[in-house]
Amino acid sequence: MTTISRRSFLRYCTASAAVLGLDPLRLGLLNDAMANPSAPSVIWLHGSSCTGCSVSLLNRITATGDTIAQVLVNDINLIFHATLMASAGDPAVAELLRVRKSGNFVLVCEGGVPTAFGGRCCITYGFGGGEITYMQAVQELAAKAAAIVCAGTCASFGGIPRSGSNPTGVVSVRELTGRPTINISGCPANPDWMVWAIVQLLTGTPVTLDANGRPVDLYAKDLAGAAAPELIHDKCPRNPALTGAPLAAGFGEDGHCLELLGCRGPHTRARCEACWNGVPGQGTWCIGVNAPCHGCTEPGFPGPQPFYEPFSG
Amino acid sequence: MPVITAAIDPVTRIEGHLKVEVDVDTVDGVQQVVDARSVGTLFRGFEIVLQGRDPRDAPIITSRICGVCPTAHSMAAALLLDSVYGTNPPEASRLLRNLVHGACFLESDILHFYLLCLPDYIRGPSMAPWLPGLELGRRLDPAAESRLVAGYLKAIDLRRKCHEMGAIYGGKLPHTPGFIAGGFTAVSSSANKTAFGSLLAEILEFIERTYIPDVELLGSLYGEYFRIGRGPGNLLSFGVFEDGAGGHLLARGRTVNGTASPLPVDVAQITEQVTHSWYDDATNDLAPAGGSTVPLSPKPDAYSWLKAPRYGGAVYECGPLSRMAVAGHYRRGISVMDRHLARAHEALRIAQAMQGWLTALPTGTGAFDPFDPGMIANVDTLGLTEAPRGALGHWIHMDGTAIGRYQVITPTCWNCSPRDTAGQPGAMEAALIGTPVARADHPVEVLRVVHSFDPCLDCATHVMRPGEEARVIPLWRPPAARAGRGRA
Repeated sequence: MTTISRRSFLRYCTASAAVLGLDPLRLGLLNDAMANPSAPSVIWLHGSSCTGCSVSLLNRITATGDTIAQVLVNDINLIFHATLMASAGDPAVAELLRVRKSGNFVLVCEGGVPTAFGGRCCITYGFGGGEITYMQAVQELAAKAAAIVCAGTCASFGGIPRSGSNPTGVVSVRELTGRPTINISGCPANPDWMVWAIVQLLTGTPVTLDANGRPVDLYAKDLAGAAAPELIHDKCPRNPALTGAPLAAGFGEDGHCLELLGCRGPHTRARCEACWNGVPGQGTWCIGVNAPCHGCTEPGFPGPQPFYEPFSG
Repeated sequence: MPVITAAIDPVTRIEGHLKVEVDVDTVDGVQQVVDARSVGTLFRGFEIVLQGRDPRDAPIITSRICGVCPTAHSMAAALLLDSVYGTNPPEASRLLRNLVHGACFLESDILHFYLLCLPDYIRGPSMAPWLPGLELGRRLDPAAESRLVAGYLKAIDLRRKCHEMGAIYGGKLPHTPGFIAGGFTAVSSSANKTAFGSLLAEILEFIERTYIPDVELLGSLYGEYFRIGRGPGNLLSFGVFEDGAGGHLLARGRTVNGTASPLPVDVAQITEQVTHSWYDDATNDLAPAGGSTVPLSPKPDAYSWLKAPRYGGAVYECGPLSRMAVAGHYRRGISVMDRHLARAHEALRIAQAMQGWLTALPTGTGAFDPFDPGMIANVDTLGLTEAPRGALGHWIHMDGTAIGRYQVITPTCWNCSPRDTAGQPGAMEAALIGTPVARADHPVEVLRVVHSFDPCLDCATHVMRPGEEARVIPLWRPPAARAGRGRA
């Protein structure tokens, strides 16, 4: 049986120095962090989630063509991730518990936390004949974690599972634990934003958060790091102040502002315009295909208002 | 020798939360699974979120049921809304919906075989998240393993490109906002057609030259898996990719225990049974159009949050193998390896069809049929399609111009259901029974059967009927109460 070593695995990956599109200083810090055997591991838990943020993470690509494979090999010691890990059952859980004991890990939560029925409508794993709920797992791991990252709007704020009169009592990770969390909101979370946040933590770089726990850099700066308007509408290429074009009255009008069709861009903070799928700066986004912004990065998402009527905020 | 009960919890490399319990015993000299229980361990309550909302929101909200097959939910909801409002979306809408849904099919197929299934057969690099790995038998020679690992790494990039391709018209994936009541948002141009076509050509080449040969290689090395994991033998497909003439690229139909020609699907034959699920027996055996979800736990003999959908009382499997068999494109058999092989060949068919849809896609014209959301054409209606992993149905009952009730039956409900009222095991449970297991403390064979169904427990989480109080108190019976569950 051939066991593929880290070195031989790397041969399959596109060799590249600019692993994360970081500046040389940051890259050096990251290399140091990874060369350090005591660098934190990453534990990624799924709660009341759709796995969409994990799928989104797999969509990561940089301007130099680096993909998530490089991130996994070079940058992140991802010891527990239910969708990606080879292991299953007891051996998987044993590794999780070993790292939990060390306290040397970053906790990533995907999905809000159901609290109804004692949390037992979401079982994360079984151990020692018992069933560990997501609520219990998050509480136990959050208490020990070096830092907590919420991947997506559900873990950050509750999201769609919390809306309406959902019976599962979903709350955000911050509400459950009372601990500060770095909220990478979005439905799903943008892969670049997630990797960015984890790398900041692994390199010990301070992250400035806004009132909703979101990194200011991801919402108020452009790809090059220059200051940019926070609201999508203020940087939208369809902003009527910029185009002088009429507002779209129906779907399928390329280039027209979508405000009358329900666009929440005037109320939504994010830098979605920089890219969703594809190479940053050249990729696609919702408004690019004539779809109104649904405000999925905001704490109020989805809210009771219809998506396709003008949004009053 | 005593029966050994082994539990795999969590079952990883699926979407969502699943536990599988198997009883292992030696029968005729072979240690094998003699009983199996598939336990859905997540309940999310999505349908109640929809109650009272504007129905036009359904494609956006239901997409979030599953981040792995989001376009399947958007498609089902959009088809349903075409009926609610009586709209007749232009041809461009059909083509755009098919192209974006097709992109997600291919993404899901590549993800499933390489990232979710292959670690059951090969070892990854000696680091997390591939370590600790599974105890795998020595089967692959270094050359074969190197080839499959190379395919795995290429697959990481190719599955991403599937989403990049779909997002050209979908805006973002997962969770595209492109599917709307009355059509699709995007407008095609010759530039974005070229970009889409270029990615599609690359993906098609990967399917032909890497994916299909890799599945064939694995099948040649693990030939016994053409005889393992048969299941109920009944196959169901709702049909997917509208062909513009009232039919589908992959036809709607069902086969019963190998019938050569497919039988029609009568939706009225579908009911959901809850005898072994944590729901009130008063809601047993209801049709989804009049469905009701009343959680109830503890409950004797119940062991899953999944209901048990049945067609005319019978157990059906759904998924790529079902679609290919119903459409008459795959007749080799039903097994773990047949599921993988049928899926790979289906991916090729879909990618080839996508080339035709792309060519036919008109440029510069909208794909939207305007309508008045205050005018409801059908108060009770449905949308049927296929997710990559199988048959998906959405049912709606309108309350004025808002959603009164919304019901979803996902493919994983069909495949991973618990036993029904008659005691028939679900499709995956049935497929597990008889699976040889070398080491009961390390039942990798069980994982191989489970993964061949591509379970998606985010989807499968059945949802509650609006307006009814949940009555669930503690959920899990103590392990001791389960220990006595018998042999098959």
